[in-house]
Parts: sequence; C-alpha cells; structure tokens
Amino acid sequence: MRNRLRVMPRGVTGPEVRFGVPLGALAFALLLGAIILAFAGNDPIEAYRTMFDSSLNGWKAQSRTLALATPLILTGLAAAVAFQMRVYNIGGEGQLYLGAIGASWVGLALPASTPTPLMLSAMLIVGALAGACWALLAAIPKAYFNADEIITTLMLNFIALSLMNWLIFGSRSFWRDPRRPVPGGKRLPESAIMPSISGRLHIGIIIAIVAAIFLWWLLRKTSWGFQIRTIGDSPRAARYAGMSVRRKTMAVLALSGALAAIAGVSEVSGVTKGLEPIALTSNIGFTGIIVAVVARSNPLGVVPVSIFLAAIATSGSRLQSIGIDVEVVFLLQGLIFLTVTAGEFFVTNTVSLAHPDTSATGSPPTSEIKAAI
Amino acid sequence: MAGEAPHLKVRNLTKSFYGVPAIDSVDFDLRGGEIHGLLGENGAGKSTLCSVLSGLYRPDSGTVSLDGEAVQFRSPQDASRHGVGMVYQHFRLVDSFTVAQNIVLGMHKKQRPRSMRQVESMVADLAEEFGLHVDPTASIWQLSVGEQQRVEILKQLFRGARILILDEPTAVLAAQETDRLFEAISTMVAKGHSVVLVSHKMAETMAYTDRITVLRRGVNAGSVTTASTTPAEVARMMFGDSNAAERTNYDAAQQVGEPMLSLSGVSVQGDHGLLAVDDATFTVRRGQIVGVAGVAGNGQRELQEVIAGLRSPVSGTIEIAGTNCTSAGPKQTAQAGLAYVPEDRLGVGLAPGLPLEHNIVLKSYDRSPHSRRGVLSDSAIEKTMNELVEKFDVRGNRSGMRVSLMSGGNLQKAILARELNEDHQVLLAAAPTRGLDMAAAEAVRSHIINERATRGVLVFSEDLDEIVKVSDVVLVMFKGRIVGSFASDELDLDEIGLLMTGSGAEIASTDTPTATSTRAGS
Ligand SMILES: Nc1ncnc2c1ncn2[C@@H]1O[C@H](COP(=O)(O)OP(=O)(O)O)[C@@H](O)[C@H]1O
Ligand SMILES: [Mg+2]
Repeated sequence: MRNRLRVMPRGVTGPEVRFGVPLGALAFALLLGAIILAFAGNDPIEAYRTMFDSSLNGWKAQSRTLALATPLILTGLAAAVAFQMRVYNIGGEGQLYLGAIGASWVGLALPASTPTPLMLSAMLIVGALAGACWALLAAIPKAYFNADEIITTLMLNFIALSLMNWLIFGSRSFWRDPRRPVPGGKRLPESAIMPSISGRLHIGIIIAIVAAIFLWWLLRKTSWGFQIRTIGDSPRAARYAGMSVRRKTMAVLALSGALAAIAGVSEVSGVTKGLEPIALTSNIGFTGIIVAVVARSNPLGVVPVSIFLAAIATSGSRLQSIGIDVEVVFLLQGLIFLTVTAGEFFVTNTVSLAHPDTSATGSPPTSEIKAAI
Repeated sequence: MAGEAPHLKVRNLTKSFYGVPAIDSVDFDLRGGEIHGLLGENGAGKSTLCSVLSGLYRPDSGTVSLDGEAVQFRSPQDASRHGVGMVYQHFRLVDSFTVAQNIVLGMHKKQRPRSMRQVESMVADLAEEFGLHVDPTASIWQLSVGEQQRVEILKQLFRGARILILDEPTAVLAAQETDRLFEAISTMVAKGHSVVLVSHKMAETMAYTDRITVLRRGVNAGSVTTASTTPAEVARMMFGDSNAAERTNYDAAQQVGEPMLSLSGVSVQGDHGLLAVDDATFTVRRGQIVGVAGVAGNGQRELQEVIAGLRSPVSGTIEIAGTNCTSAGPKQTAQAGLAYVPEDRLGVGLAPGLPLEHNIVLKSYDRSPHSRRGVLSDSAIEKTMNELVEKFDVRGNRSGMRVSLMSGGNLQKAILARELNEDHQVLLAAAPTRGLDMAAAEAVRSHIINERATRGVLVFSEDLDEIVKVSDVVLVMFKGRIVGSFASDELDLDEIGLLMTGSGAEIASTDTPTATSTRAGS
C-alpha cells in the first residue's frame, strides 16, 4: 500500500501565513525565473533590476503602473464581491464593454459644454447601470432556475463583444466616427475625459480605490454584507436565518456587473477617449478574476494585487527593450502568477504524509472512499 | 452457482472513530442461504459493521472468517473477490453513465467482457434471473430510486457476490417497490445467496428474515431466530428495558397553559414527492414539553422545517403563539415566537466558516443594538457574544476562529444561547444532544427543561430514553404519521418501541387523529 498525501484545512489563518505564503511563493517564482533567464542567456540580476526600475522605481514608473492597475482594481472588485457569495461571475469582460458603450453614449449625446463633474457622473451612472443590467441577464436565470452563472456570464461576454464590434465595425452607429478611414469611435469631448493626474494616470485610480474601500465597508460593516457573507458560507444557514438568497444573488451580480462596467467607463473616458473595440479588448475583465482569486476576494487585497500584476505587465515591454525574448517575458509573468495563486492552497490547507491505515481511523475519508470505488 | 454461500463468522469485531467505538466486540454469524435482519436505532453501528464486512473500513480488532477460513478485506474490491458485496445506504452510481457502464465501472479489464454490448446482454440476463428489471442501456439519471437500487444489487451480483449486504434498502422505497425488492431477495436466497438486511422496520424484518441480530450502542444486544421471537422482544432489545429509563424529577404540578404551537391536519411533501408528513395534528402548551420519538427518516425533519417556515405544507394550519404561521417564512415564525435549534448544527444552525460573533447574531444582526440603519456595530455584537458565552458557558472560542473548529457541545450551546436570547414563546429543538458528551448533553437538557417553566417546548430525538426523561407528552412518529400519543404517567415503552418500528401501526390506526390530538393537548 502506498502512502497518501493528507490534506487538512487550517483552522485559523494567522498573518504570518496570510502574508508569508504569498511572499514565499513570490521568492520561489523569482528564483525559478532567474534560472530560466540564465538558461535563456540573460543576466537575471539585470533583468530583475530593469523590472523594478520600470514599474516601481520613481513616480514616473509608479504612475504608469497605477494607470494600468486602475481598471484591474475595478474588475478585481467585481469578481471579488461575487466570489464572496460564491457566485462565479466570469462575465466581467462583457460587463466592461457595456460600461464603455453606455458611458461613451452619454459622453457623445450630452452637449460638449456640459460641466465635467456632471458629465463624468452621468457617464458613471449610465455605464454602471448598463453593466448591472447585463449581469442581470445571467442573474435572473440563476436566481429563478438555478442556471449556472459560469456558463451564462461567459456566453454574455461573446455577445457583448459582438455588440461592441458591430457598433464600430459593422454599422453606421451613433458611436462610430464616419470621417475616419479606419473604423473607430467618435472622440469624446474634453468634458467627458477623466482629468489626468500625471501622464497616463487619471482620476479613475481614485474612483477605483474609493470603490475598494467602500466595498470593504459594505461587506464587513453593514447588515447587507453580513447577509452576503452568510450566504457565501452556507446558503442553508442563511435561509434558516430568514435571508433571501434569491434576492441577494441578483443584487450581488448586479453590483458585480456595475463595478466591471465602471472599469469600462474609466477606460473609455480616461484612456481610449472613444469607443475603441481593439484597445478595450485587452482581457481586463478576465484578469480581474485572477486578481480576486489571489486577493482571496478581499476588496482591500484587490488593490495591492492589481498593482502587483500591473507592475509585472509594465515591466514586460522594458524587458523586451533590453533584449529579452518576448516569450521569456511571458514565461516569467506566467510563472509569478501561477506560483502566487498556487500558494493560495497552502494558505488554507496543510499537507502531510499519512499512512492509509492511520488515516482510515480518523475523520470520514471521503476522498479515499471515492477512490476505492 | 451451485451450493450455498459460505458461512460468515465475525468475532470480537471493534471499530472506533476518534477513539469512540462505533461497534464494540461484536459477534455475528451469517449462515449460508439465510436472510439475516440487522436491527438497531440510528447510530447503533449497523452501517459501520456492514462497512467493515464489505472491506470499506478496516476493523481495529476482531476476526472475520468465511467457512472457517480467516479473511481480511483490504478494499471493497477485495471483499468482492471473496464474494461479499454491499449496497450502501447512499448509492454510488455515476449519473451520466448507463446502467451497464456503472456495473462494470472499476472492474479490472480481465474480469469484464470487452464489449459493452456483451455486458448489456449479461446484465439483462441477470436482471431476468433475479427479477431486478432495469434497462441496461438507460442512463442512471433517468432511473427512479428503486431502479437505481436494482442497479446497485445487479452490480454486486455481476461481480459474483454470494453474500449481499443491503444497508437500509427499504428506507428509500415506496411500498410496491419494497415488495418487488423482497421478491428479488427470495430469489437470491433460493439460489443459495445469503443476505444481510439492515432495517429499522419491525414488520418487514419479522416477515422476511430467518434470524435477527440487534445492535444497541455498538454492542450486539442479541441474535434470535425470527420464528421464535416476538416484535415486543426485539423492540426491547433495540430500545432497552422499560424500567431502565428514568424520568427527570421535576415539578409534577406544573401548570399547563394556553397553546404555544398548534398543528392541525398538516401534511408536507417530501423531497421525493411522497408525503413526508401526513396529517399531523397536535398542540404544545405553555408549561409543557412534548417529545417526538421516532426512528430518523420518518418525517421528523420535514415536520421541523414546516413548523420553522422552511417548507410549506400542502394542507393544514400551523399557529405559533396565536399567530397563524401556515405559510410564513423563517423570519415570520421567529417573530411569532419560535426559537429553533435545528438538527443540523453546522451548515443550518451555524455558518461553519464564520466566527462565533457572526453566528451569535445570525438572527439579530439587523436589529438594534447590533446594527443601526443597516450599519453593524462591532462593539455591540461583541458585547452580546461575551454575555452569552458567559451565560451559556460556551468554551473553546478564539477571536476570529471559524466556528466549525469548536466541539459539538459548545456549538450546541452557542445555538441555544442565540435562540433563547431572542424573544420567544416556544422552543423547537431537534436532536438537541446528539453526539454530545455527557456533561454537555446534561447542560443542554437542563436549558430545555428550564424553558418549560414559562414557555412551550417541542423536542425531537431518536434517543427514546432522552424523550422519556424530559417529556410531559410523548408522540411517536412513523412514516410521516403521528401513530401514538402518551402522557408521561401512562408511558408504555414497549408499545412506543413497537410503534417506532411500525409494527404497532395496526393498533394505532384504530386511534383516530382526533383522539390523538385531544390526548396530546390535554
Ligand atoms: N466515518 C465516520 N467517522 C466518524 N464517526 C462515524 C463514522 N461512521 C460512523 N460514525 C459514528 O459511529 C456510530 C455508528 O454509526 P453507524 O454505523 O452509521 O450507525 P447506524 O448505521 O446504525 O445508524 C455513530 O455514532 C456515528 O456517529
Ligand atoms: Mg446507517
């Protein structure tokens, strides 16, 4: 008989585990990356210094990283709030497009002379509503017929993408600029553009951070969040306590959709400055899912994780400029993602070797029973 | 296939979980070609004994032999090679596979025919031979529970089982399907197979078995020949002697007041579409503890849930402290004055992954002082928690620790603390002391008895001793019906035992529902 790996959930997760494991995973990834870099004929020290300099050293680098992190924070929050209730919204991508479509419509439809605060507020509200409604298309079947939201939200991504492409490439829609030789969106008026803080960094970052704090407060400090956390832990206990699981499912998916949509508003107003399908389809919605997983669905964790991922991404182009192959750069980025996410498993579980005989005396060995059949 | 199945002999078998023996030095004999009934209350160790015999668990000590030859099964496959096969209480079938695929699943390539066509025709022959009719090409999800059970039996026969262990096979079956199952069992026995039939039900055990072994709290309480015993004797073996149970000594002159909980003609649909609760009528009054005795799975859970507002009745009315709560939700029943300690502590009564302070205010988080205008007050919540931890002696909590790491007794005290801290008129407690150590069980029981002074209490328990100890009125539930009602001074444990196993059903059905309700209410 072979020995078996025995996985036990950790009870209390102390800070040393919560921060130590991801940091350890990062160190491990960097070490492994150094070996790969060396094999590829690059100097690991130089590569890592370039990474650091280009993404985190100095305000210029930092602002570039923060600009990239802005939409990630928002889509990360979108995924996190749904995960808190164990609802798996992977439709952030599509909800983001809807936010971009809604916001650019407002920006183009309202008179250009509208004061910026008013204009931006209107764009945020309409964009968020568009994303929320898009998410509800998956939420209602889930709440009433228990339709799997993973499938419905994923499908809605493709529909949203086709819709956006059609508006710009396939029709003479309100959004499309007929004067441009290559199809593209009409440029938003100055009043519909998020003021810049420094270079590419715009006030969207403030919206994102405020949203993170607000969401943390909503989940931790309000009775609404109390219900979400209860449902996320045990829907049966929630029902027993008189909570409406159905209503909360719809509310949470709508909120999640709204947050992803605000990422779309921020991108269209602060970065692309018009509905530009190509620039908007850079997987921000999907990356938000990774962010939420690594941040363990904690809204406050989403911010540093997004910045971390943005830093890795910004340093990528610089690494290429010092002669490191683009494949090696991707490999390095993927490696860091993967080890930090995989490390998550060790935050919640301990693993040890157990002899089958001793394990059979302990708790009901479900996995062993399954394996035996 | 000629000849009889080997004689299975078990001596001194012990198997513990977490140091607590589930079966303790059990002797058991299964003769070739017999149907052997294995009876016992819930938790008596029946499934554990069967799982050891089928190779799923390894015993801590003791021996098993087949026709005098000692055997040690290392796995269900190993047992199967020795001709021992078990059908578990919960089926182990792959929903999306066909019957034939499930039957050969896990078999070694060499032991099974190469083509599925061939398997299907063999299964069809076997089904024909034993009267276990099922379409070998159907997918499992298309089949009824009864048909799935036939697949499980066929699976074992296909693998050459001569000794079949059926763990509570009739618990999930309707009457007609039960008859067909017993026909199939007789066919098997006629062909020399032997069968272990685990059951709670007296009538079928008396009717179909050759011998009966009773397990009581993990110990063999006796093996008898069915023809030479009586239901009363077997019931006594299962539930103990009438004089063994003592009543808690408390104020006999307790004043019984107005109704706190009244059910009238309540019927509830179960998860399988059958009636899980059938025409329940009874009243719990202030100053009264009503205990519901019954073997698990006879509609108790559904009855609890319908009272608590987690299910809707198909007919009848429910009143809680004068408020009509027939189709109320859990929030309304709580407001009407129901405190509810559910059977399932972790998962229903408590959110297992969240800390104690969260669970302590699970029903009052949205009210002052725990929250104002939707904003939680952490300090007020912590204050409530500290008060209740103190008052109810809840131990083992660490700040921020997920509640599932606390022991059963402390979990139960935490639930009681929360429920009794709410304004309430009647306490509904399901299996309140199950799995608790003596001290914790005693503490929980004394909280329940204290409630009686000013409120009404409805207790469900599978432990008949406990019901007898605390109740002023004992109701017996069998197959969704209240089949008996006894005031504490006219308790007849033998009769209760019989009613619980369904063998007294004829007697009780002469008892009209109205008579039951008046007796319960008086
Ligand atoms: N896998 C297990 N882990 C821990 N305890 C168990 C396990 N299986 C059974 N038990 C305990 O052993 C006792 C006997 O259970 P079981 O054999 O299932 O009884 P029965 O089938 O007669 O209802 C119970 O107290 C139960 O809680
Ligand atoms: Mg059992």
